[in-house]
Amino acid sequence: MYNRAEAVDQNFVKFVLEGRFPEARSQTGLAESGLSAAEFMDLFETQIMSRQMDLRARILKNQNECFYTIGSAGHEGNAVWGKAFRLTDMGFVHYRSCPLMIQRAKQVPGSTPLYDTMLSFVASSEDPIAGGRHKVFGSYPLMIPPQTSTIASHLPKAMGAAFSVGRARDLKLETAVMPYDAVVFCSFGDASINHSTAVGAVNSALWVSHQNVAMPIIFICEDNGIGISVSTPTGWLESQYASREGLKYITCDGLSLCDTYRAAREAEQYARNRRKPVFLHMKCVRLLGHAGSDVELTYQSLAKVEATEFNDPLLHSARFALENDLATADEIVGIYKAIEAQVAAIGEYSKTRPKYLKREEVRESLIACAFPKASPPACSEAELRELLGPDVDKPLHLAKQINMSLAETMHRYNAAVVFGEDVAVKGGVYNVTEGLYKKFGARRIFNSPLDEQTILGNAIGFAHNGFLPIPEIQFLAYIHNAEDQIRGEAATLAFFSQGQFTNGMVVRIAGLPYQKGFGGHFHNDNSMAVFRDIPGVIVAVPSNGGDAVKMMRTCAREAWENGRVIIYVEPIALYMTRDLHEANDKQWTAPYPLKGEIKLGEFGVYGESKDLTIVTYGNGVFYSRQAAKILEDKHKVKAKIIDLRWMAPIDKEKLLEEIGSCSQVLIVDECRKTGSWSEWMCGAILEAGGKIPRVKVISADDCFIPLGKAAAAGLPSRDEIVHGALQLLNKV
Amino acid sequence: MRKRAVVICPGRGSYTKETLGYLRQFGNHVSPFLADLDKRRVQTGQITVSDLDNDTTFKPQVHTKGENASPLIYACAYADFTSINPEKYDIVAVTGNSMGWYLTLAFGGALDMRGGFDVINTMGSMMKDGVIGGQVIYPICDEQWRKSPERMAVVDKAVVKAHEISGSEIYLSIALGGYVVLASDQNGVNAVLKELPAVENYPFQLINHAAFHTPLLRPIAEKAFHTLPESLFHNPKFPLIDGRGCVWQPYSTSIEDLYHYTLGHQVVETYDFTRAVTVALKEFAPDTLILLGPGSSLGGSLGQIIVENKWHGLESKQAFTERQANNPVLLAMGRPDQRSLVV
Repeated sequence: MYNRAEAVDQNFVKFVLEGRFPEARSQTGLAESGLSAAEFMDLFETQIMSRQMDLRARILKNQNECFYTIGSAGHEGNAVWGKAFRLTDMGFVHYRSCPLMIQRAKQVPGSTPLYDTMLSFVASSEDPIAGGRHKVFGSYPLMIPPQTSTIASHLPKAMGAAFSVGRARDLKLETAVMPYDAVVFCSFGDASINHSTAVGAVNSALWVSHQNVAMPIIFICEDNGIGISVSTPTGWLESQYASREGLKYITCDGLSLCDTYRAAREAEQYARNRRKPVFLHMKCVRLLGHAGSDVELTYQSLAKVEATEFNDPLLHSARFALENDLATADEIVGIYKAIEAQVAAIGEYSKTRPKYLKREEVRESLIACAFPKASPPACSEAELRELLGPDVDKPLHLAKQINMSLAETMHRYNAAVVFGEDVAVKGGVYNVTEGLYKKFGARRIFNSPLDEQTILGNAIGFAHNGFLPIPEIQFLAYIHNAEDQIRGEAATLAFFSQGQFTNGMVVRIAGLPYQKGFGGHFHNDNSMAVFRDIPGVIVAVPSNGGDAVKMMRTCAREAWENGRVIIYVEPIALYMTRDLHEANDKQWTAPYPLKGEIKLGEFGVYGESKDLTIVTYGNGVFYSRQAAKILEDKHKVKAKIIDLRWMAPIDKEKLLEEIGSCSQVLIVDECRKTGSWSEWMCGAILEAGGKIPRVKVISADDCFIPLGKAAAAGLPSRDEIVHGALQLLNKV
Repeated sequence: MRKRAVVICPGRGSYTKETLGYLRQFGNHVSPFLADLDKRRVQTGQITVSDLDNDTTFKPQVHTKGENASPLIYACAYADFTSINPEKYDIVAVTGNSMGWYLTLAFGGALDMRGGFDVINTMGSMMKDGVIGGQVIYPICDEQWRKSPERMAVVDKAVVKAHEISGSEIYLSIALGGYVVLASDQNGVNAVLKELPAVENYPFQLINHAAFHTPLLRPIAEKAFHTLPESLFHNPKFPLIDGRGCVWQPYSTSIEDLYHYTLGHQVVETYDFTRAVTVALKEFAPDTLILLGPGSSLGGSLGQIIVENKWHGLESKQAFTERQANNPVLLAMGRPDQRSLVV
């Protein structure tokens, strides 16, 4: 039979009635597992429910009513996780987790897991988690944040969440979401364990645990032996994880509910009591292919497919139920058929439920926050003076101002934690976190292993548990190997949960070019395109210390109150800059601003001019300010400079209004021209129509930044800005 | 093709003046059951159910008393349950309101018919020497049966105030669709009645009703555990939805848990009928809800829950009423026109 879904469906009934069952792979019985007869049958019913959901998804897909057919068939043993873990143990689960969700929902009276899941199959706007925006397994009442990951990119945050449990206990964090004795579990497949995110997450969990810091996490590998069409080499997982130091390895037969429950309890108890990581290896099978669109027979023989199908976990459970007099064959088929009818009816009804069709409706949840929090009161002037000392009145450069603003943020928000590479005792490579370790202690300022995926995963995980994470990425170029933790994970959380889950954070990144004496591409990276196209993310680029402090206040508040994901890029080259026009003029310094915020999207404006407006950010502001003085002093040209400050979101209308009727616009962009913000700026001006000003773009060359004296060769310079302005004004 | 039906069992207030003689009218086919019931009532020295139903006049002080109303409603609902035409309907789940949970257990097979009598009659007779506290009913929806945040706020405020002036704890006894049923001791009840602004006939105290589903009934729960053994309980034959929205399945029910829920949690904690019916609508996707008699006083609450869930697109009282007139989704067996569609 070509349609394997129908074959699996029909064979289950046929084989149960004929008494044809696969041989048991495990001898674990009820007594050894700790399950009662009723509990076994409860799990078995969950398995059947999940199977019927999978089968119905295929039927609805054929009617063009269902849009996601990656199923759980073969993985039905994972129902056990829904029973073994407490509702307060946060779970990050992969896309074959329907049984888990159904079973876990049984812990919450009044749950409707079949209906809720069906709504997500048919992409109804009433889907309680994602509002029909994606098929995700997630639920706020079940404390399962939704994951869209098809690889294991949710593992770093699971690790971070587990790490945060002990930290919340140590700090007696009042806003902690999980109790102090919670464990965190995450599930993934045998193919995705090979992904660097998974490897990195396990590595980091061990790195933390090795230092005797609590890491109560259970990595659950649901090993069906194949990733789409590629088989996992025999013994591969055992060879990598069975005897890894510091990692408790537990294996089970995922086709046996009893054996799986035995293993799950052992794993749960070990992680809970010892606060150490566990690798739980569940061996199961994959039925019905990778997804509805995957025709297994193109890469597997029919005999092999049928042999796998005969190892159906439902047949194993049915055999066990019969052997232990828990139900008769007719009763089992009765349950199967009753649930089939139930799921079919739910499917038919769900089809009639509303769906989002309009753009506005879809984007409604991009930055949603269902449970906004209140910030603690802002620090008073006296408080800040006491905290920061007499330096507040001195002329301070950018690095010092950010350093102080971090101290202010940590003082104001008990939940704020700072972590990253070298941020603790050393105080960061540019001393921006200097003194914080001493002031706030090792539990709030801590070093991370050298892995950006871990740093960002930690941030997401900590945010899930009620912290305000302020991770540091040492250099902008280092974000690229971990970008997906922002793009695919942090930024999508509110969108796929309608703001029920948020992971507010302020990711500080030292970046942008112009570093003198220390450089090369990796320390002078000048590409921010990677952030600007991520919907919902706020990108802050302060150009000077005063702005940096006020913008940090806004960032911390937005992250804390509204769960926003914020990228805060600090121009390294301006960290220690003091002078603007001439030596010792100290015009790039300022006293610490003791109050005030800069609103999201609010520009900085310098000068006034009807003839020339320079739009820029970061280092561009510094060089444009220098250029403006030369233009005025030597060429009698006045210029207005707009410092964007916030690279996303940009209020286009407001920006165009600020440019007004100025007839010449010079765009100064220190990032590489292709894909840069300057392209957007040109488009915005052009699109506005009306009287279009003359526009010139001075941006960085489409090249990597070299070492040494040539480091600034491809970057906009003061003189280039002067020259460009004069060109625009037809003065050269 | 048979329709999927969820059966709803009525609560304590369903046998009224209007339903007097219900058994005489609809209970002929269950006369052996009735005879047995009457016999057991005689054995316990209580007035028979048949006599109560055959009375020439409705006597509130007699008919609404727990020890009489409970078995009377049990018998009427049993007569209705056994009248459902199996050729037309597949019963996919059973649920009920308040005392309706005991009926749910009985009709769903978790109590046999004798066990059903034991539980219902015993629980109904627990307070024959005087009820503990009382219940007050009040609407929290607007004219179109949509939940009204303003009215809910009024209730919250009144509860706080009533607690302040009476010193009594005020509890949410039942979430009943567009109504709340509040419960307290009599002082608290009086204060609630005073504090809630009048809306049509509401608020009013439910006659001969105790402060069901509140901690005030803890002594009753304790007594029940001593009086009623776990052996009365069995695996249900249909999925049962309890007063939290939990589903008890035929093959996976822990008898011990069911026993403890029924005589413990259910007695002393809020009964969330709204949630129970919501679970029925969503998780069992029935074609029809069948409300057992006597009467049809739960019909409004059920309609409100349907509207709250926008079930089949019914988003207002008006839409629900129109649908009921043409192609009803709720069939109340206490209404002759709808009963004919069920039997």
